[in-house]
Amino acid sequence: MKRTQRIFLNVIFFLQVLLLFLFLFEDRLSLPLWLEVAGRLHPAILHLPIGLMAFSIVLVFMQSQFKKKVYFKITLTVLLLTSFTSSVTALFGFFLSKQGDYGLDALTQHKNSGIGLSFACYFLVLAFVYLKKSQLIYYGMGLLTVCVMVYSGHTGSVLTHGENFVLAPLRKSSNSLGGTEGSAFQSVIYPILEKKCTTCHNRTKAKGKFVMTSMSEFMKGGKNGTEWVAGNPTESRMIQYIHLPLADDDHMPPDGKPQLSRQEIKLLEFWIAGGADVEKKLADLADLDSFKIMGSAAIAMAKPITTEEKPYLFSAASEETINKMNTPFRTVFPLYQKSPALQADFFIKESFKSTSLEELLEVQNQLVVLNLSKMPVTDTDLKTIGNFSNLEKLNLNFSKISGSGLSSLRSLKHLSSLSLAGTSITALSLTPVLALSSLTELFVWNTKITEAEKAKLVTANPKITIVTSQFVDDKILRLGKPLLANEGTIIKKNEPVVLRHSMPGVSIRYTLDGTKPDSLSISYDKPILLTATSTIKAIACRPGWYCSEVYETTCFVEGLKPARAELLTKPDKQYPGEGDKSLVDGRKGFIDVFKESAWLGYQNDPFAAAFTFNSNPPILHSIVISYGKNVGSSIFPPEVVEVWAGKNSREITLIQSIKITQPLTYETQQVAALTIPLKATHYSFYKLIAKPVKKIPAWHSGKGKKGWVFVDEIFFY
Amino acid sequence: MENEFLKSRLHVNRRHFLGKMGLGLGSVALGSLLIPDLFSGTDDAALPIGLPHFAPKAKRIIYLFQNGAPSQLESFDYKPMLTKMRGEELPASIRMGQRLTGMTSGQKKFPLVGSHFKFQQYGKSGAWVSEMFPNIAKIADELCFIKSMHTEAINHDPALTFMQTGAQQGNRPSMGSWLSYGLGSENKNLPAFCVLLSRGRGNGQGVYSKLWTNGFLDSIHQGVQFSSSEERVLYLKDPAGRDRADSRKMLDNLAQLNDLNYKEFGDPEIQTRIQQYEMAYRMQTAVPELTDLTHEPDNIIKMYGADCLAPGTYAANCLLARKLSEAGVRFVQLYHQGWDQHGNIVGEMPLQAQDVDRATAALIMDLKQRGLLDETLVIWGGEFGRTNYCQGDISKDNYGRDHHPRCYTIWMAGGGVKPGMTYGESDEFGYNIIRDPVHVNDFHATVLHLMGLHHDQLNFKHLGRRYRLTDVAGKVVSGILA
Repeated sequence: MKRTQRIFLNVIFFLQVLLLFLFLFEDRLSLPLWLEVAGRLHPAILHLPIGLMAFSIVLVFMQSQFKKKVYFKITLTVLLLTSFTSSVTALFGFFLSKQGDYGLDALTQHKNSGIGLSFACYFLVLAFVYLKKSQLIYYGMGLLTVCVMVYSGHTGSVLTHGENFVLAPLRKSSNSLGGTEGSAFQSVIYPILEKKCTTCHNRTKAKGKFVMTSMSEFMKGGKNGTEWVAGNPTESRMIQYIHLPLADDDHMPPDGKPQLSRQEIKLLEFWIAGGADVEKKLADLADLDSFKIMGSAAIAMAKPITTEEKPYLFSAASEETINKMNTPFRTVFPLYQKSPALQADFFIKESFKSTSLEELLEVQNQLVVLNLSKMPVTDTDLKTIGNFSNLEKLNLNFSKISGSGLSSLRSLKHLSSLSLAGTSITALSLTPVLALSSLTELFVWNTKITEAEKAKLVTANPKITIVTSQFVDDKILRLGKPLLANEGTIIKKNEPVVLRHSMPGVSIRYTLDGTKPDSLSISYDKPILLTATSTIKAIACRPGWYCSEVYETTCFVEGLKPARAELLTKPDKQYPGEGDKSLVDGRKGFIDVFKESAWLGYQNDPFAAAFTFNSNPPILHSIVISYGKNVGSSIFPPEVVEVWAGKNSREITLIQSIKITQPLTYETQQVAALTIPLKATHYSFYKLIAKPVKKIPAWHSGKGKKGWVFVDEIFFY
Repeated sequence: MENEFLKSRLHVNRRHFLGKMGLGLGSVALGSLLIPDLFSGTDDAALPIGLPHFAPKAKRIIYLFQNGAPSQLESFDYKPMLTKMRGEELPASIRMGQRLTGMTSGQKKFPLVGSHFKFQQYGKSGAWVSEMFPNIAKIADELCFIKSMHTEAINHDPALTFMQTGAQQGNRPSMGSWLSYGLGSENKNLPAFCVLLSRGRGNGQGVYSKLWTNGFLDSIHQGVQFSSSEERVLYLKDPAGRDRADSRKMLDNLAQLNDLNYKEFGDPEIQTRIQQYEMAYRMQTAVPELTDLTHEPDNIIKMYGADCLAPGTYAANCLLARKLSEAGVRFVQLYHQGWDQHGNIVGEMPLQAQDVDRATAALIMDLKQRGLLDETLVIWGGEFGRTNYCQGDISKDNYGRDHHPRCYTIWMAGGGVKPGMTYGESDEFGYNIIRDPVHVNDFHATVLHLMGLHHDQLNFKHLGRRYRLTDVAGKVVSGILA
């Protein structure tokens, strides 16, 4: 051994003696301030002996790599350093123990084991130096030292991080505080304390001498007594500490530890404001009590969302088998991932065959849900279904069974829901399935079961929810309106006008003269042949229903086409349509889409258009203007319509002028026809003028303004 | 040239392999640091798609979307205080600086106004329902009201898009698409996600196909819109002069061509296209069977009301929704327009309610009598609520309400939700939530949960990150789970 090493060993010896001395006369000790600083370095330097010790273990395994002398030198240095640092650590730890407010038990354990470790390290050096011959003793002592080190380290960690720090993530929290089962304190407040406070405020650590892990100590409070003033959160020390600025030393939880959320602080405050009661239950509080509202929300939030999964005892079918079962008309799939239970659905009745059901026998044990709704399943097919022994839900609504095969279902010991609505089963045929103890719901409406039998069924089987009739009330309802079936409202020559109604068994009655139809009006038995543009009003009637509201539509019979049609005044900029083309293009506008190109809109100027026929003009009996009426949007019929005619555009005279009666209320919007009768004229040139309403009447919201005129097509007959 | 193709197909050489492996192992290690429970349970890591993650409560959804936002204060959230305080100013302590829409931001006064319509309690659950909904009132014990919904958007488009896709911007997959993606189709002859539109008689707001978009998901998950016309699915009929056998032949040849294309380019959309042609072919049989209402028993017609025979009405859509759902369609989305009553609540809302009331109740009872309600989730509600104050001036017998995102009511029924309960509560002004708030993300999380999916594990990687319906938020509302 060199001289330096010898001196080092003596220093270490001195440290051991010092430690022993301090340990024995602990009570008489008072620390100078600078030593307190040294004490606080304990958590930093404690890592040195641990690292050095680990290194010395590595050296043992690397022994063969070195020459004997070198090995001895290195190991000795490392061991001396280990011993020195562990002594200093123990010393500093001793200083620290004098200033902290730690719980007694854990502190004592840590102190004793720390000093023990320091001694152990010293003896290890001695063993290494002086018992060179018997390495076994050195190894044994080494092992012992490591054990002491682990124990001491562990007790130290309990002091800083609280008990069970390492394993906490793996453990379920246990409500260790006790108190009244189900009390608001236990279900709302304690979980907060447990999450954010008890790592320090527990028996072992007992910061501020305040222990929150036992009810009696919690009630007793910390070193300054009770931590709250019941009913007064602002005066309560616990709350005050929470509200101190984060930088403040007394702020709780200390900076760097998980902080309380706003909601948690509120809950603590509410609890204290409500008297800091540890017994009261949330349910006992008033409904609008803030503590109750927030507390219940917190409980609900904290509750883990469970998904119950029914355990099945049978094993899963192979993926290959399941894939093989799937066709476009039959879907077979597990209820959820990794579930052995299967559901099978059938679609498209034309594709259903008995064999497609039999193929499912390959998964007969796994099948739990079977949906055969609307499939042409017969009673013989039920035999196949009887093999699906784990079936729970079976849907046979609107299938072709008569009930005689239901006895095959007797083997389905797990069947809980059976749907047989819309089939021709009888009450008697149900007996075998009613005997199934697992059955909880049964749907048998629209079957051959009589009303009397239904009542009996329900009373005789109180455990089963039996739906025997549809949920429909006795109220008499109004039918929907009949509709025009033709493609548009322009009717070609000899094209019949077809009315229809989507409900079978409805009779339609109609008028063509503008009067309101009733049950005495013309009955619609065959398509109507129109000779002139007319307004059809129709209703639908059916026994057991109120007649429909009136359906009204104007059908425009196709007329004669002029050779040329042109607009003489420009339509409003917003509604230009397609100009001249819109006049006679055979396209009708939709009533609520006036922006559409079929419509020509006029407000400031009157509508004026010129129509030229060939040199040999036809005899005209009437002109029909198809116009839009939407009174709510200030679209009125024209006020005055004039027809001028002559040989050509220069030689024309006024041959007809009509004043149109204006609506007096907000009538329903529609595309209407304005028929202008002519006296069998045959001019080649016609000019048509339609003037918008000059002043909208006072009852209308747009009173005083000009009305609009919208034209989509002109017809000549 | 050929060589390049080969290379691109293989995509792996020694360097790639080593590089990938190094990176792969590194990211696994890093991943375990970032996602602490990556290795804890093999169950939850990267769940495959196509089946529920756990036993589902509901197998199918029918979402009766009331587009335009029906007023909660005239339907299900009864606030007598507003009637008492009619005409008085909304207290600032209640409004708490809530932003306003452009329609009322210029308004100087915010006079409170109560419901014009009478309320009454119904059923064992004692749910308050307005007189406008007599049929829904009758089935109150089947419903689970959530009176504490709240959203982030204040205008129709973003709010609607948020409700449907979980984001306000409109580039994400719709709820139905997510479910189609997560659960697949039950019936291979029909799309998994169908959309039905109808229009009421009130002030309406548009709906547009971005609401049923597949977003970044495979296009097979897009919602298929059914037309309101006689022909419910457009272009499904065989064209004149071609019969089904010709179609079959044509499709077979087309599939061969597409397959060649696929082999050359490897674009998965080509496969999707082949599948879609095949489904359309099968839909030619499946759809007419579904949309034919002439074979419905008289009682069913009576339940839904006569309107159900007129295509394109809400009642017809409800009936069709039931038939689609019965035929295994995962998600049937209805939109009923016309609930945007900024003015004239007294005039318009009864008409809207009349269109909806009977058919809605009928749908629920029809599902129940078929034994399907316990596995079908029905949702009824709009995109936000309406204000407790009047928009514009209060007149003696009429008023209107503006948009209100802070609190509104929806209800659910069937598949896995507690029947006959009310969850959450608004204050006596019907303005703020005082108990159990449910955010749109929470609503989505809950719906996915009912369908047997972990909302945080149903995701899709797009543009470098994983997206979910609930994106980075959402908590299952356990209080309404049966």
